[in-house]
Amino acid sequence: MIDFLQMIVNGIAVGSSYALMGLAMVIIYKTSEVPNFAQGEMALVTTYFTFMLLHTFGLTMANAFISALVFSFFLGCLLEFTVLRRAKEPNILGMIVITIGLEMVLLGFVSWKFGADPKVMPFPISPYDSVSIGDVFISSLELLTLVVALFLMIVLFLFFKFSKLGMAMKATQQNNTAARLMGISTNRMNMMTWGISSLVGCTAGLLIAPVTMQPYMMWDPLLKGFAAAVMGGMTSLPGAVFGAYILGITENLFGGYVSIEFKSVVAFMIIIFVLCIKPSGLFARHYVKKV
Amino acid sequence: MKRNGIWVLAVVVVLVSGFSFTVAAEEGVTDTEIHIGQWGPQTGPAAPWGSVARGTAAFFKMINDAGGIHGRKIVYHMFDDGYNPAKTMAGVKELQEGVGIFAWASGVGTAPGMAVRDYLMERKVPWVGAASGSHHWITPPEKYQFATYPLYYNEAMALCRYAIKTLGSKKIAMAYQNDGYGKNGVEGAENELKKHGLELVAKVPVESKDTDLKSHVMKMKKAGADTVLLWVNPTHGITIMGTAKAMQFEPQWMSVSTLSDFPLMYKISKGLWEGVITGSFADLPDSETPLMKKYKQAYEKYAAKEERWGIFYYAGFGFIEPMVEALNLSGRDLTRERFVKEMEGIKNFKGIMGTLNFKPFDPNDPSSRLGTNEVFLIKCLADGKYEKLTDWMTVD
Repeated sequence: MIDFLQMIVNGIAVGSSYALMGLAMVIIYKTSEVPNFAQGEMALVTTYFTFMLLHTFGLTMANAFISALVFSFFLGCLLEFTVLRRAKEPNILGMIVITIGLEMVLLGFVSWKFGADPKVMPFPISPYDSVSIGDVFISSLELLTLVVALFLMIVLFLFFKFSKLGMAMKATQQNNTAARLMGISTNRMNMMTWGISSLVGCTAGLLIAPVTMQPYMMWDPLLKGFAAAVMGGMTSLPGAVFGAYILGITENLFGGYVSIEFKSVVAFMIIIFVLCIKPSGLFARHYVKKV
Repeated sequence: MKRNGIWVLAVVVVLVSGFSFTVAAEEGVTDTEIHIGQWGPQTGPAAPWGSVARGTAAFFKMINDAGGIHGRKIVYHMFDDGYNPAKTMAGVKELQEGVGIFAWASGVGTAPGMAVRDYLMERKVPWVGAASGSHHWITPPEKYQFATYPLYYNEAMALCRYAIKTLGSKKIAMAYQNDGYGKNGVEGAENELKKHGLELVAKVPVESKDTDLKSHVMKMKKAGADTVLLWVNPTHGITIMGTAKAMQFEPQWMSVSTLSDFPLMYKISKGLWEGVITGSFADLPDSETPLMKKYKQAYEKYAAKEERWGIFYYAGFGFIEPMVEALNLSGRDLTRERFVKEMEGIKNFKGIMGTLNFKPFDPNDPSSRLGTNEVFLIKCLADGKYEKLTDWMTVD
């Protein structure tokens, strides 16, 4: 029984970083219907930027992390403004290819600027400390990630549901032309979306970096976050988060009871399964666009 | 018209003489140059091992500045394969068929090396000192391949023997990369444990793309392991130890020589690596032997500013010491056959690695192509310092 509980806790712990990446992807998808594959590398650039602030410029941790969040917001806005918006006659497939290209450029930039050797990211909480409830353990850092993921989910949910800006963003996705006619600056909405999404991704990067920091560190969380978002429904914020926890728990139970070799693959088996039975995802409302 | 005819004749003469010259000379060798190639991960998850190829660059610069080898300079072609076998194959083919490489030096990784082994052997291109202790390099032995890295198999045996006899371990578990590299270690460990009437209490495969290793650690904890062998990459090694610490599972950790760069491991694990025991295939970084001092001078002279004097950097010298020796012994008349003959003649060669011996090629004798199986065991102390636990030894 303890083992089973530990596996569930492990699943929730690992699911939190997937959840953050899933949230970041859903934000952009909600407004543009583009899955942003550069999400992980945008977080990577910000994480290395923070590392540089701490090591080269000697900033305190608090200042460095706040600067990182601001930087990540502007990085997202900048990428949307300089790259995505420049696409001529953009269609979804073209935009996806652009995000894949961006991913490679950002990864190459980080490898070139900082080298491929693993780095050590200082953090107020040691990734090796843990909190125990009876015989079940969870690392303190993962507990923090869990809290941050749930907090961001609630804030973003409320933001999209009740704030004027959030609703304008949603309107931009649902009908770009109508939104423009209603006086919404859709370009600005897209830029803001990228900024907010980059900020959420940045928190994931900053929480993953204390455990492992090297140029490829965001690839797996991105894939799993994407898988979670697809499972939960690409337009549902709570869907992405709960999808991530279901994924993390399933992975760990599968690894514990069935096969450790195929543990990582199980995420993608789940996606196929979900897409077969409920194509719009577990938590998204299914709607059909009229032509 | 007559004038044109003279031109055509001249072109034909030049082409024919050029062609005949190409046929007569050995591929990758000219009057003034010897072309040597190497792949190595400068990016990707195995990048910490990428310094091997950069070390070799310094080694060749040192040799060239001292006059080269019998009047020829070594032209070194290194490329980044990112530890991706498909990229290794593409890069090797491009250089071999585009530039013409006389021989290949070292090259990190079992899987990348396996991708090009058949290609190189079919073309009879010598390859010395693969930077991996896989038994694939000698089973079956190939005339043109010479291994200088002690086998993982024997290293795992040495570690298990030490754990049982010296540390009194009773329950040994193993986390291994699920490929040739990891499986070689598992075979060695199982073989040694069998001799003591034991077996691995948990045997956990790690896929190279895995990042969440909690289930892996749980299995080993549940098995009650008192000692755990890690046959994985550096990032996985640290993730496993970190996860175990968070789960309050703290066995004696042991690992393979590929994770013996203690200053790096200590730093990136935030001190967790202290107390880990590994094998070592070369003298330690603070060694004061004349050869190590000479190599360190080369490092100081040629290495990039941010390069670190670590075990994998100077392994780039060590793995191919016999190659340089054989190039020297081949003299001015350098052909691949002559080079192989000189390699086979190397006996009791002592550089910065274990003592090396090769034999004339025997397709039934893998040891004819395995230079050394000597390792010694080391322990990581505070700040990534080394403690030597044993002398050079061979475990059979």
